[in-house]
Amino acid sequence: MNLTSKQMSKKITDEYMDDAFHAHEKGKLIGYSTAISPVELFVAHDIIPIYPENHAVANLTAKKGAELCSVVESMGYTNHLCAYARSDLAYRKTGITVTKGIPEPDLFLACNAQCFTLTKWFQVLARKGNLPVFVFDTPEHVMDSNTRKEIVKYCVLQLKELISFLEEVTKRKFDYDRLKEVMKYSAESSILYKKFLDMAQYKPSPISIFDALIGMAIAVYRRGTQECVDYYQTLCDEIQAKVDQGIGVLPKEKEKYRLYWENLPVWFKFSDHAKLLGSYGGVILTSLYVHAWSFEFDLDKDPLVTLAENYVSRFSNSTIEDRADMATELFKKYSMNGMIMFMNRSCKAVSFAVPTLKEILTKRTGIPALVFESDMGDQRFYSETQIRTRIEAYFETLDRLQP
Amino acid sequence: MWDNLTINEVVEYAKDPYPSIRKWIKDKGKKVVGSTFADVPEEVIHAFGFLPVTIMGTNKPLKKAPSHLPDNACSLARSNLELVLSYEGDLFDGFVLPQVCDTTQHLSDIWRINFPDKYVESYLAPRQADRPSARYWVKEEIERIISSLSGWSGKKIVEEDLWEAIKIHNENKTLLKEIYEIKKKNPAALTNKELFALMKLSQQVDKAELNQSLKKIKNSLQSGKNNGYTDVILVGITCDPPEIYDLFDEVRLNIVGDTLLVGTRYIQGIVPTNGNPIDALTERHFRRGFFSPIHDNVYKNFEEVKALYKETQARAVIYVHIEFCESQEYDLPDLKRMIKNEGILMHTLDTEYQTLSLSHVRTRLQAFFESLKGGSL
Repeated sequence: MNLTSKQMSKKITDEYMDDAFHAHEKGKLIGYSTAISPVELFVAHDIIPIYPENHAVANLTAKKGAELCSVVESMGYTNHLCAYARSDLAYRKTGITVTKGIPEPDLFLACNAQCFTLTKWFQVLARKGNLPVFVFDTPEHVMDSNTRKEIVKYCVLQLKELISFLEEVTKRKFDYDRLKEVMKYSAESSILYKKFLDMAQYKPSPISIFDALIGMAIAVYRRGTQECVDYYQTLCDEIQAKVDQGIGVLPKEKEKYRLYWENLPVWFKFSDHAKLLGSYGGVILTSLYVHAWSFEFDLDKDPLVTLAENYVSRFSNSTIEDRADMATELFKKYSMNGMIMFMNRSCKAVSFAVPTLKEILTKRTGIPALVFESDMGDQRFYSETQIRTRIEAYFETLDRLQP
Repeated sequence: MWDNLTINEVVEYAKDPYPSIRKWIKDKGKKVVGSTFADVPEEVIHAFGFLPVTIMGTNKPLKKAPSHLPDNACSLARSNLELVLSYEGDLFDGFVLPQVCDTTQHLSDIWRINFPDKYVESYLAPRQADRPSARYWVKEEIERIISSLSGWSGKKIVEEDLWEAIKIHNENKTLLKEIYEIKKKNPAALTNKELFALMKLSQQVDKAELNQSLKKIKNSLQSGKNNGYTDVILVGITCDPPEIYDLFDEVRLNIVGDTLLVGTRYIQGIVPTNGNPIDALTERHFRRGFFSPIHDNVYKNFEEVKALYKETQARAVIYVHIEFCESQEYDLPDLKRMIKNEGILMHTLDTEYQTLSLSHVRTRLQAFFESLKGGSL
């Protein structure tokens, strides 16, 4: 019997976590990784990648943020650090989780293309068990092409160091042929994942960002595997069927505002936001965040080169101007006519660019922006009334601007 | 202009060096290249004949920065941005901006976008420092900055230009070290505020001139009555506003060691003088304590503090935390625990750029040191 994408996602996730919880019995190690990191090397070396961020998202979505974050403050940490980190450190202390938790790590891979906060967070975790941390340093993907070439060289050197590090930790030789195989799966699934995201260009859009966020999980933690490829193929087929039948998130006649979202979601308001916006005829289609895993690996290149090129150039490691270019492309491609810019207290790496990005995007597109401040996981920084009022006012503005 | 200063004048200039820089560049016809903290090799900028100026915030009101950076951004970052957007931006012909953390990365972008008519270059410091690739990258970056400055200015530099700049910078650091040594043993000779004003001004004005003042100041330092002082070490990135040092001076705390960028981190930066200058500058990067705590792990910080504490036989550690510096904040709880377990007394000061009232700092400092046994305070 063919499984649906939802069933496949559950099966893949269950098997993955089961494998992870029994890793040591099978002679495997657990490597904690940042979500944007060259995890293909882990997969090729048979290390099971675990993403504390994903676990944090589960807890924050289930509204455990305030409780966990309060605990971490009593441990001496300040309340404006990343809510993923805060809730994770509190989970380590209390065991509070809405899942079965995550297995303890054997080693860490911190890639700072995403942010530097993860490096510091991982250092805190590593100290507890005196465990090894590898920092994969990706200098900002500045605009000068010669400098970019030099950056890639530096990153390739580091990937070689990472391989030596893995060999030393596991006492096993790295298999480059296996890496090529893993890269093939990663390349295929990345293309399919992007195809899935790009289906938001249809009118009405068959997916919203909330579907994209749910559909993103497998790209984050199972890329480099055949099952990841199969999952996205099934997902694309399902969405294509919706497109063929004209099924949208909102019916065609109600889809009035096709919105861009800047930043990570407010996880604990995930479904509330979808309903609220939907009541005004708004659908959030996409963000740079969900596109972060739309890799374009070139299999004709040395795997380490194409890995370096892709990981260093993620939106979170790009200049604000490049970010604006990426977002502008999405506005054109998806025919968007509104934007919500979330200033996320928890994610400085993304949020510090938001005011400048908003200026550039409104200037380029002529579309006004809704800006609001909150926290992606800590409910104590969410002001229900204020944000609702802003959303209402924003849609009134958009209505007035309608031709 | 800066070659015959008294120590009182150094304190005054350090508080607001920009009017003197304006006058100096008008007289000299030189260009000013600004930078912010974190490992940019200022010798390179100097070798091109430009004045390298490290930007260290402003105590003037925030007007424009809040619309670019939220209120939970590093207060130094906001203060630096304000300084260039509202007050002194026109002074600078260009900037070489280091990127060591998420905040500095965004600052570089924001400055580039806001100053389209100025030269703005990023210095992409390595954010890992334990592997051979970091050394490779530092050298690449120094060479790239030289090439970039050359492209902007149309000037070429040769090895001798770099060696000359290195000589002046090394002399500056050596003189500061010597003055620091005098102050450690003879706290009455120089106040804490005066010492750190020398450190600050050294990073903002022409060192060839300032070195002349440093020599005279060093020679003029007198022995005084040294009783009643309590030796402490100061740990952190920077300590601002400078009036905090007045509080130290009021209660006769003698800073005998520190890990500040406007302090020991700076004077650790003496460049080896053999081989070729780019290799020497690269080597220096790894010899001194890095300018950003992003590299550090707590064990390294702890060992450094412990060694300094033992070496100086200080009575306590004062840790200065700049509000909203994430790197410090992830490390601080464990660092506090380790220092406490070692039996070392530690006091944390939370400071913020643009701080106007220090009454809470005064009260806490006084209470902490009254609790020190001996009761010398």
